[in-house]
Amino acid sequence: MLLVGATMTACSGGEDDAAQVSAPKAPATIPELTTDPVTLSFVWFEWPPAQALEKFANEEYKKVRPNATIKVNTVPNANWHDAMFTQFAARKTDFDIAILDSQHIGEAVTNGNILDLTDFVKKNIDVNAYDPYLLAAYGQFPQAETGKRDENASLYGLPLLGDTWTMIYRKDLIGDQPPQTWDEMISAAQKCQTDHPGVSGLAFHQANGSDAAAVTYNTVNGVYGGNLWDAKAKKIEGVLNDAAGQEAMDVLVNKMKPLTAKGSGNWFIDEVNAAVAQGKACIAFNWIAASGGLLDPKQSTLGKSKEEILGKLGFATLPKQKTDLVPLGGMGMHVSAYSPAANQAEALNFMKWFEQADVQKKWAAAGGVPSRTDAIQSPEFLNAGPFNQVYADSVPRMRDMWNVPQYARLVDIENTGVNAALNGAKKPSDALNDIAREQQAVLDSSGKKGGGGL
Amino acid sequence: MSDAVPLTTDRPGQVASVTPPARGRSRRLSDRKLAVAFIAPALLLLLAMSVFPLLWALYLSFTDYSATRGGSGSFVWFENYTAVLTSAQVHLRAVTTLIYVVGAVVLQTVLGFSIAYLISRRTHGRGLLTTLFLIPMMLSPVVVGLFWRFMLDAQFGVVNSMLGSLGLEQVEWLTRQRMALASLIMVDTWQWTPFIMLIALAGLTAVPKYLYEAASIDRASEWFRFRTITLPLVWPLLLIAVLFRAIEAFRLFDLVYILTSGGPGVSTETLSFHVYKVAFLGFNTGTASAYGILMVLVVIVLTQLYLRYLNKLKED
Repeated sequence: MLLVGATMTACSGGEDDAAQVSAPKAPATIPELTTDPVTLSFVWFEWPPAQALEKFANEEYKKVRPNATIKVNTVPNANWHDAMFTQFAARKTDFDIAILDSQHIGEAVTNGNILDLTDFVKKNIDVNAYDPYLLAAYGQFPQAETGKRDENASLYGLPLLGDTWTMIYRKDLIGDQPPQTWDEMISAAQKCQTDHPGVSGLAFHQANGSDAAAVTYNTVNGVYGGNLWDAKAKKIEGVLNDAAGQEAMDVLVNKMKPLTAKGSGNWFIDEVNAAVAQGKACIAFNWIAASGGLLDPKQSTLGKSKEEILGKLGFATLPKQKTDLVPLGGMGMHVSAYSPAANQAEALNFMKWFEQADVQKKWAAAGGVPSRTDAIQSPEFLNAGPFNQVYADSVPRMRDMWNVPQYARLVDIENTGVNAALNGAKKPSDALNDIAREQQAVLDSSGKKGGGGL
Repeated sequence: MSDAVPLTTDRPGQVASVTPPARGRSRRLSDRKLAVAFIAPALLLLLAMSVFPLLWALYLSFTDYSATRGGSGSFVWFENYTAVLTSAQVHLRAVTTLIYVVGAVVLQTVLGFSIAYLISRRTHGRGLLTTLFLIPMMLSPVVVGLFWRFMLDAQFGVVNSMLGSLGLEQVEWLTRQRMALASLIMVDTWQWTPFIMLIALAGLTAVPKYLYEAASIDRASEWFRFRTITLPLVWPLLLIAVLFRAIEAFRLFDLVYILTSGGPGVSTETLSFHVYKVAFLGFNTGTASAYGILMVLVVIVLTQLYLRYLNKLKED
């Protein structure tokens, strides 16, 4: 299978060498749109926002483009990167819009897989309507400094879904007021676990697939004042595993992990939600965009109505400690460089339509998490879910991971290392030192000939 | 000397005519063409899907080609091979794979042969039992992985729930280093023991009855009959089954991907899973090709040694 795959990608790669120098530019003006029936295909991973997007887009976009149909193709989360980039490697995609994680942009841009939207954005998008960092995170390359946007940098995508972690806590078990600091949160979880046998103090992502365990460590690292790397010097070793980084790993493994359920070392989004819905966790952390199901009485043992569930569940921004950083989640829309011209035009038209203020508010009301400031602050969004205020409050506190072409390998190294520490396969300090060393080796070997990837 | 009398005629009822030698040659040629025409599609498919990719991967293994970066890649000669062979990461996965292969194949052989032996001694319900035992083998490994993942979940899984109802401790099947590898072996054994069983059953059924009758007349014990008749006659067939299973287990990917994702940490990452990561996370296609070629070579060499042993066994 691998041999056939390698051959297919290798053979097709040879034909388009010239096109691989840089990302091709999208036109500043949207080309004439087709009047024939057209299907605009997205690729995303399987989770509730994917179905929400397809439903919303088909209902609303059809009002302006009756001949267009939106299809959101989904793959399991663990296959998301591979599903997109193996098609990019073949220089042929069955999707027109790739919904890339912010960290995927570097790899896609470097390989010329997605269109450069800079001119298109200048002419069609009101960039001032966005929080600068959100716009930068979902589109800019090279990566923006945390909290900022470089107005001279190129843009390769536009926001589709904003996201961050929310702290979900049991009001009936730990009280109405959420813990304000990380230390308080751990104490509250400890007390809750002791007072309520059968309920674990904490639930969070620990799996070694996707970016699960890595995001958890990065979050604690940020809260305890650590840094993932020195972006300018491209230095990870000595930065990630400095004193703050080691303290964060110690807190995660020695203070937080003992408060989780036995065997939760492979939990990700669904498992954390299941633990909360079944009343098995006092405090949990999950992505806001994946939290909607917690309010569904059919999926919960916490109440027979949404109101009853909300009487027990509270949603809050993450506690602070040495800093108030929270993880940046969410994804942007990026136009495939290999999509037919008519579909690329339709994709640009869709993006222009989607980023309008009134459409963003409707998207917010439909369950989406918008990125335009006016939509984030709108009653449509803030009233759509109890966790939406958490997102609005978290926007100025966000920090992203590395957006470099080697992202997939960096995150895999961190995931497996943190997962090993969480499950007792490695000592926490050894795991962090190994992560820093291996990640540094990946960055240092980017121009190495032969043997790369081991 | 008279002309040869033709034995056949194209049209019944017509007077047979002398067939010139040239026509005979042309008919043979036509047969050959026909044969080629029949074989060609399969041959072309084999060339396109197996031989060409193998040769292409062999070529790529000497380059630093990356599928996403494009370009033709520059020649690095044996650097990819040296890197793979000297990598501590690869050695670690090789040890994991070896433990897995030995554990899974030994367990499956013992269980498969035992079940086959017990079934072969039954006279009633043999067909039904065999069919029931074969069901796991007919399922897709991905499906098997998914439902075992649910069943082995420490918190929500049915296995721990049953252990709990018996008053036993919960077990972290998939998140503890040694237990995760043992779980992989267990699931693989659940699925593939029937394969060994099937082949062993075929061997057991083929053992001539008169040998057992003769042994009975000589009042040979059950153990003696098993040791001197059953096992020696079934052994060569069983070894072939072991060979197939060992090759399959050596390239295990799907169960690891679904059940543990290689975790905790990298403790259940097999060689195939590691090749996948090298090939598709960093898109280091040249390195991954060298890695794949080396795996193929290992299988070929070990298989050759094994087959030689098997042939020697048959000759003896």
